[in-house]
Amino acid sequence: MVSSLVVGGTLGEILESLTAASLVGEPIVLAYGQAAAKAEEIASRGVKVFRLNGEHPDLIFKAAKKLFEELKPKVIIGHSTKNNRDALSRLAGLYDLAMATDVVKIEPGDDHIIYERGFLSERAIAREKASYPAIVLINQKVFEPYSAQGQGEIVDIDVGTPDVQIVEIKKKQLSGINLEEAEIIVGVGRGFKKKEDLKLAFELAELLGAQVGASRPIAADYKWLPEDAWIGISGKRVAPKLYIAIGISGAPQHMAGVNNSKIIVAINKDKSAPIFKQADYGVVADLYQFVPVLIKKLKERKEK
Amino acid sequence: MGDIVVLVKPALNPDMLRSKPDGTVDIVGIPLKFDDIDANAIEAAKELKKNLGGKIIAVLLLPWGPTAKRSKDLRMVTQEALARGADEAIVIADDTLLPGDQVITANVIAETIKKHVPNASLILVAEASIDQTTGQIGGRIAAKLGYPYISYARSIKAEGDKIVVERDVEDRIEIMEARLPAVVSVTQEINEPRPPTLLQIRRAGKKPQHKLSASDLGITVERKKEPLEYRILTVSRKQIIIEGDTLEEIAEKLIEALEKEGVLSI
Repeated sequence: MVSSLVVGGTLGEILESLTAASLVGEPIVLAYGQAAAKAEEIASRGVKVFRLNGEHPDLIFKAAKKLFEELKPKVIIGHSTKNNRDALSRLAGLYDLAMATDVVKIEPGDDHIIYERGFLSERAIAREKASYPAIVLINQKVFEPYSAQGQGEIVDIDVGTPDVQIVEIKKKQLSGINLEEAEIIVGVGRGFKKKEDLKLAFELAELLGAQVGASRPIAADYKWLPEDAWIGISGKRVAPKLYIAIGISGAPQHMAGVNNSKIIVAINKDKSAPIFKQADYGVVADLYQFVPVLIKKLKERKEK
Repeated sequence: MGDIVVLVKPALNPDMLRSKPDGTVDIVGIPLKFDDIDANAIEAAKELKKNLGGKIIAVLLLPWGPTAKRSKDLRMVTQEALARGADEAIVIADDTLLPGDQVITANVIAETIKKHVPNASLILVAEASIDQTTGQIGGRIAAKLGYPYISYARSIKAEGDKIVVERDVEDRIEIMEARLPAVVSVTQEINEPRPPTLLQIRRAGKKPQHKLSASDLGITVERKKEPLEYRILTVSRKQIIIEGDTLEEIAEKLIEALEKEGVLSI
């Protein structure tokens, strides 16, 4: 009997979700978007794959609804991506299912699932118990990729046309940097007065072997950096061993993205900035004066 | 067209986190605030009202109890919604609906819209709240009302009985077109909300407020989940301010500290 339905748009999402789903019981997969093209690779893990063309949230919703109604899984599992949240929140609304997002731990039981997730902008952990059937969207990299072997069937799923039309798709300009993997990140915020001044942060980053990330205004509003540099609740969540926040005040939306860093350094000229309470080391100084000095001292050390 | 509904959440303020001696979160001790992205939703409603007409109706449901203790915070959040541009507010506070969860919230709000704003043209909701950050209320309500749903809007334009929305997904923007009525979730990037003026704050007190209870709405909800524990994350930061007579001295001390932590590889 099928007990879990995995929903995902990339191979990586699906393999990690399968590991979580297999804790509940026999999984099947709904693969859409890029993952649909990898259906054979997914099926080689010994699971049945329903392949959906495209990644329109209306169609993901309809396909998930169809599989949910036919197969009655106990749990629907996927990553906490925007398309999954969009499509599966509708399924949750239609059937009044419990739905959890950004889940970091699961403990499935016979008639319920216990899970843990970030709460209060990631400053606390909520541990909750939901009755089956439930929707559980996990964070990336919490589970290892599923490595079972076998030969699963591939079935194309057709759910008609979407209700809302996509009239155009614009690709975003991205830098391709992978902040999630970075060991050291230099974060830049509104303390920088103009785009050209960011070269200070880049010079520091180069010296440290670091990547440069940004708070919301820099990446999303001013567009001084590409959007994949954006760290925070709506951007990326990172976990470097060192995070150096320069000119960042420490809004909860940003700090939720960096709270898993090992050490946080804050450089800000406003001594009452909330970031100093959320940092290990703080320097109260004008970044335009302090960062050049820090760069000089690091260079001296490097030459020794 | 009909009225524009904006969902407003009285959310726990993460900046005022309180803990109990056993390390769990003291929920009752944390004050509620007007949720951040709801300001963007009201600002978007004000723009759209110019084209769509109708009134802006803020719908608020108290998710954290007890109601007796929360009345002042709830009043403040309602006032802020009205001062920011809502024309009327519908406020639902009921001990039988506490603690709120997403199943309850979606049922209460969908029922409120059906009964009290049946002509709604557009329902706006924040992409996520600052306390729970689940981002699922918009989708749930759309499914309950049978309306189209567009999430993560970075812009919304109304053209007749249609809206054109820029939907912000991870690596792309999808331009979507839907017929009204529809439910749209908005991002923080959609606009720069203007803080209310003194005059707007004063006028807010005179705008109509309707109070509803679960029995007014005829709602009984079966709970699908229960909280077991809310615990404070124990990552406490050292909060050391590095001081010195010169910036050179501070920089050297900082570098030394980071080397001692083993996080510098220079």
